[in-house]
Amino acid sequence: MSTYVYGITASSRTDLPKDLGGVGDPPRPVRVLKEGALAALVSDAPEELRPKRRELLAHSNVLAEAGAAGCVLPMRFGSVAPDDDTVTGVLAERGEHYKERLRALDGKVEYNVKATHAEEAVLHRVLAENPEIRAMTQANRQSGGGSYEERLRLGEMVVAAVKAQEAEDATDVQHTLEPVADAVSVGPDSTGWLANVSFLVDRGSAETFMTAVEQLRKGHPHLDLRVNGPLPPYSFVEPGPAEPAGTTSGGGTAKE
Amino acid sequence: MTVVPAQQPGGGGGSSGLYDVLELVLDRGLVIDAFVRVSLVGIEILKIDVRVVVASVDTYLRFAEACNRLDLEAGPRKAPGLPEMVGEITESGARGKSKGALSGAAETFSDAFKQARENGEAHPRQRTRKSTTTRKKEEHE
Repeated sequence: MSTYVYGITASSRTDLPKDLGGVGDPPRPVRVLKEGALAALVSDAPEELRPKRRELLAHSNVLAEAGAAGCVLPMRFGSVAPDDDTVTGVLAERGEHYKERLRALDGKVEYNVKATHAEEAVLHRVLAENPEIRAMTQANRQSGGGSYEERLRLGEMVVAAVKAQEAEDATDVQHTLEPVADAVSVGPDSTGWLANVSFLVDRGSAETFMTAVEQLRKGHPHLDLRVNGPLPPYSFVEPGPAEPAGTTSGGGTAKE
Repeated sequence: MTVVPAQQPGGGGGSSGLYDVLELVLDRGLVIDAFVRVSLVGIEILKIDVRVVVASVDTYLRFAEACNRLDLEAGPRKAPGLPEMVGEITESGARGKSKGALSGAAETFSDAFKQARENGEAHPRQRTRKSTTTRKKEEHE
């Protein structure tokens, strides 16, 4: 029976929730494998585990619960060991590294911030700041929408202005929140957000962080900001910039 | 299964989008080479929504049209959109209805998932045309 691994925490923890349900249908019970000062949260791995919504949810729920009261190093979804002994073997072999990461991340949580433009609001902004675009819009309206070429030219200018605004806003998001975070991890580009940034925040500073988010919202009414947290420190488990993962960009890059 | 949404300390501000968390679960986190990773074949639908503006003729025409419709005299107004909605759901979830809130979000995700797949397969070009509005529609449906 292979072993599904959720995360790594300190074996001294006594506050781990009991009776957690993990991946699989029915949910496989979550067990704790201890090795010295470390413990792995695992369950039996169901046969034919697939990256379905309910499985992803189960993975994140186990980590959310276990991470609510103490530090857990979350595994990326879908990590399966051949058996329990392999898991404890890894904990024994690389114990110092994981202990160091647990110490470094102790008392810290991740907030993920994603930003998109509220289209109508950003168009108002672009028109307000760009007299040429505004004039062209009005001219097109007076001629019943404008010719195909006119519309194309207007659209091209608007798109260029919106893209410039996207870049500016991405910088603003990061720079506004960076000072209230301990670390920053910029998510992979081309996921469809103008900004997708994770911040490592001390639990005690969570309110300060959220206040900074509110200020960002107020100062940028044309931005839709989505804030998720507190979360286990998914983006900060390894020191340095998070490894850019291509795993969700398509089946072709998935590791078997 | 025990279901607990991410907590919101100090109330207000945050919104717990299931989709956003799942992206982290799939993309970040510890990878240990001694372990095998489950194949993620089929998960590409998570990435369907191209919401940043892509330069294309379709996009130009759509934006020109959007400008023509825009009420130039009105100030920039922010429609009450998804973040606020989700925020409310999350707050009530934290007050003890966590299961309902989360499975509700899960439904939304599932629908988005399904719709995205249909769009992706049947009308791949729609993705760019729908551009920035895609996501909101999906989450509302």
